[in-house]
Amino acid sequence: MSTSPSEALTVAALYFDGHSARAWPATLSLDGDALLLAAEGLSRRAPLATLRLSEPMGAAPRLITFDDGAHAEVRDHAALARLLGASGQRDRLTVRSAFDLRMVAGALALLVIVLWGAARYGLPWAAEVAAPRVPEAVVAGLSRQTLELIDEHMLAPSRLDEDAQSRLRGVLAGRTTLPHALVFRHGGAVGANAFALPDGTLVVTDELVELAGDDERVMAVLMHELGHVEGRHGMRMLLQGSAVALFMTWYAGDVSSVIAMAPTALIQSGYSRDMEREADDYAAAALRAQGRSPALLADMLQRLSESAERGRKDGAGWLDSHPDSAQRIERLRDRS
Amino acid sequence: MNNPFENAPPSAATTTFADPFAADTAPRSEALVFSGRGGEYFGIWIVNLLLTVLTLGIYSAWAKVRRLQYFHRHTTLGGAAFDYHGDPRAILKGRVIGFLLLLGYNISFEVSPLLGFLVLGLLAAAMPVLLMRSLRFRALNTSWRGLRFGFDGDQRGAYKAFLMWPLLSVFTLYLLAPMWHQRMKRYQLDNARFGATRFEFTASVSAFYRMYGVLLLLLVAGVAAIGGTVALVLGAAGDRREAMALLPLIMLAGWVGLFLLISPYLTARLQNLVWNNTRLGAHRFESHARARTLYAITLTNLIAIVCTLGFFAPFAAIRTARYRIESVTLVSAGPLDDFVAGQKQAVSATGEETADIFDVDIAL
Repeated sequence: MSTSPSEALTVAALYFDGHSARAWPATLSLDGDALLLAAEGLSRRAPLATLRLSEPMGAAPRLITFDDGAHAEVRDHAALARLLGASGQRDRLTVRSAFDLRMVAGALALLVIVLWGAARYGLPWAAEVAAPRVPEAVVAGLSRQTLELIDEHMLAPSRLDEDAQSRLRGVLAGRTTLPHALVFRHGGAVGANAFALPDGTLVVTDELVELAGDDERVMAVLMHELGHVEGRHGMRMLLQGSAVALFMTWYAGDVSSVIAMAPTALIQSGYSRDMEREADDYAAAALRAQGRSPALLADMLQRLSESAERGRKDGAGWLDSHPDSAQRIERLRDRS
Repeated sequence: MNNPFENAPPSAATTTFADPFAADTAPRSEALVFSGRGGEYFGIWIVNLLLTVLTLGIYSAWAKVRRLQYFHRHTTLGGAAFDYHGDPRAILKGRVIGFLLLLGYNISFEVSPLLGFLVLGLLAAAMPVLLMRSLRFRALNTSWRGLRFGFDGDQRGAYKAFLMWPLLSVFTLYLLAPMWHQRMKRYQLDNARFGATRFEFTASVSAFYRMYGVLLLLLVAGVAAIGGTVALVLGAAGDRREAMALLPLIMLAGWVGLFLLISPYLTARLQNLVWNNTRLGAHRFESHARARTLYAITLTNLIAIVCTLGFFAPFAAIRTARYRIESVTLVSAGPLDDFVAGQKQAVSATGEETADIFDVDIAL
């Protein structure tokens, strides 16, 4: 018999054989590379390598499982720690980290950094990669649903006469090769506004046509909106918004209603500043290619921002979703 | 006899049962004891969250296993803790299937209504089987004193409980909903077993109707109160534009209000109804959860979660679990040592359930 100091260590445990619910009060001790379990009328010896030890979870008992499914339940954590120390075993890192204050604080800080990085860089990149891969049928379906939603809640049928509508459609058709559909609506509370749906549907309110005064300025705004279509900005924002919504609902514990919210998210999600700049650049390039000045768009921005100052009721819409207009006006004027 | 708790630190878990192993036969109450602590669980929760985010959700299956293990192992009955053995890979498989089903369902309606209804039909046909398997997975992977729980419900019963009764309740304008709920609980518990010992569910349909009757009164009162508040706010706002801007906020507040009104009452009453009418062999259970206590816990949890941007969530989970678990008592008709393993378990000598590999796990 060996006389190593580890032999003196014993740990009280309850032993369960896996065949009945009977609890056997037992003691555990080390015997070289094996664990010795002794109970009244029962003893077994198992090499440490064949045993599974459950992770520490505060005051919860730790379970030592034998390879036949029997297990010992230990609640004396101090004694078990001494036994483990004597055997040279250590707990895994993920396990220890959950109960170490510095590790928890580190995990918290890392979580904040990772979430910030994902929101700032990861998501926009992933959305840019994924947006062109969304099936056409899905893009069309989403756009149709979004338009229906907007028609139901925000816009009324256009009061613009048919001639003006078809004239503007004709002009636009001569200016772009992108697949598109130009539709008109009465803005009402929304005011002077224009927006693009992911499938190329361009929606213009009567108020915007009126504010523009002539077709060229309407075309300038439409070139900007086509820039959003060309860059798939709508789809990208939708994907980003869905990812955030998915995370939030998972965080709150319910994943059922995420995709149902998609059309709403599309309306609510304004474009990012980078996307606005991209669409402005697209419009400027398109206008110059058509032999016209990017100042037309700057002019429209000016008019929208002036009408917004006159009263929030009629002109605010387009600018609400298009921030930093002074900066953008200056930028466009520089290019003309 | 050796007292196994001789050296254990003093805690609730060790003081409640002085001598849990005496082989007396008189009926005796064994309270369930929960020893989880918020600060401790916060550590598990935050590491789970971090790894889940870093792995784009894949770790969530492992996270679930650690979470369930924490709650199971901190629940003690008759001197021994519960344990959870779910294989994270099986759970991950279940989550991928669930996500794909959800995605397919939503995308199919975007493509065409016909395809949408086709997928909806397929989903309705598959769901009862998935739920049955999920119940089996959950039961087989839960153990106490070294014995696994089990679930023997068949497909026929699953289609009745999870497809026929919900459809019937919809077609009767939810008049049959309480009956559907009773049938669902009966399917869950009548088919459950611990080792070889069967559970038996005896709660009557009329008890479910009584519970839902009170809930309906609560709901009517709540909707009236919330509707009145909305009308007042909208009237006060005057300007239509401002009122419209407030609407989403008001609706959110309304939903939270309804949830707060319904959830604690239903949770407490349902728990009592189910466990006061469930037997395990000759043993029975008593549950005395009080709705008003759960109201207090839920309301304070919600306020604290909002104020801490969600970081109170693990503490809230522990508070709710402690109250719900410690409301339950096992009234034993004999020694708890007498349970034996079920047939299935005796067959697999390794103690690892082979069923795991083919099973999926879906949260109910």
